[in-house]
Amino acid sequence: MKTVGARQVWAVREITDALGRRLEDLPSVWVEAEIQNLRQRSGQVYFTLNDVHQIDASMRGVLFDRLPQRPSDGGLVYAFGRVEFWAERARLSMRVERIEPAGEGALLAQIEATKARLAADGLLAEARKRPLPRLPRRVGVITSAVGAARNDILNNIWSRYPADVVLVDVPVQGPGAPAAVGRAIALLNATTNIDVIIVARGGGPLEDLMAFNDERLCRAVAASRAPVVSAVGHEKDVTVCDLVADVRVSTPTGAAAVVVPDKRVLEQQLAELARGLVRGLTRSRDAGRSGVDARQRALVSGLTGAGVRASARVRSCASRLAPSLERSLGTAAAALPDRRDRMTRAVGRIEAGYGARIAADAALLEALSPARTVARGYAILRTPESGRPVVSVDELSPGGEVLAQIRDGHATMIVKEAGQ
Amino acid sequence: MTDTPDDVTFEEALARLDEVVARMDGGDVGLEEAVRLFEQGQQLLAVCRDRLALAQQRITELTAQAETGSDADGAPF
Repeated sequence: MKTVGARQVWAVREITDALGRRLEDLPSVWVEAEIQNLRQRSGQVYFTLNDVHQIDASMRGVLFDRLPQRPSDGGLVYAFGRVEFWAERARLSMRVERIEPAGEGALLAQIEATKARLAADGLLAEARKRPLPRLPRRVGVITSAVGAARNDILNNIWSRYPADVVLVDVPVQGPGAPAAVGRAIALLNATTNIDVIIVARGGGPLEDLMAFNDERLCRAVAASRAPVVSAVGHEKDVTVCDLVADVRVSTPTGAAAVVVPDKRVLEQQLAELARGLVRGLTRSRDAGRSGVDARQRALVSGLTGAGVRASARVRSCASRLAPSLERSLGTAAAALPDRRDRMTRAVGRIEAGYGARIAADAALLEALSPARTVARGYAILRTPESGRPVVSVDELSPGGEVLAQIRDGHATMIVKEAGQ
Repeated sequence: MTDTPDDVTFEEALARLDEVVARMDGGDVGLEEAVRLFEQGQQLLAVCRDRLALAQQRITELTAQAETGSDADGAPF
């Protein structure tokens, strides 16, 4: 530097050197920018990093070639490197060491990386997916209390079955969402009777669904004690959460159908099974055999009562069937004369088929009823107080009273003597 | 019946009820066994119906909101 008159005058070199010293220890940083003007020359790659402003950048060719996803002009990227000052030309440029896709590209790359890590731990394997309980005692629901999914799920569940629900309100997007969902899963797993958990969120752009591609959230879903149903986004949105969950449904509305049964259908099934029990009993092979003890006879006659009522219903149904068949035959008879005969034969077969079973029931009842025994000249001794039949001499004591039931009446008797 | 109803899940009760009815429907069951199966069936039926009646459409609302605070911030240099 020299002085000319009253002025200090610098050499260009001194200026650039001073700038160089100022810009010497700038740290390496990540920059998000659009790549433009990409060109390769003598082992180096040159490009510009653009947003509102622009900076020249370069990268060693060997590093560029090794990038898992090589960018192209117009690509949005994250670039990592140091801003350097080239004193000779007083130029700034960024010396880049790493480039990664940014924007949707980055998200997709990130999702793939998460999937790879989870797959490596076997968490995406089909074999580890568990079946859902047919009838959960309590259903856990993890979603935003103010989101659309909440009411969708509750209404759809309750329209099928009055399930008890434990709903955990969480943020369904943003940086805090994954940890919150993880805590909600732990909370529900510690809650009694939670047999299944629904993780739900309405639709949205990829950025808004990213919480459900977060590795922590996915590992929490995979580790859940209760099986997890993932109901995130719409049909087209597949998140990593969907892949680790035990069941994936395409919308929150669909979650209800896989989690709770339709109560009416279940009740009909139970009613049919109840009828099956009675049917099975009345058809058991040697129901009429004489060697059956009193307890079972009483039980069978009681149960057969139910059986008889069933047979009576069948008889009345068959008789009602005939006239309605007649009526439908009447209208069809003109067009197809042989239908009438076929219908009548069908009614006949139905009557005959049930008729035999009804007769068998009646015979069974007849054989088992005590009235037949008394009719043949026997008497039934009953205790005066309860009227229960006396089944052992131990119940009799000299001087005690006993009631004898005979075919055409009864008599009260005093016991003279009772012994084996 | 050997199991007490509360440690039998709904699925197990329903599956065994199916088996009992199928066994009885076969028709080649003696009265002795038919009565025993009938009683077992009735108990299984009761388990299923009780479990159905358990649900009262109750809802419990909890929250697991996000923690506060954010990660790195401040100028790059």
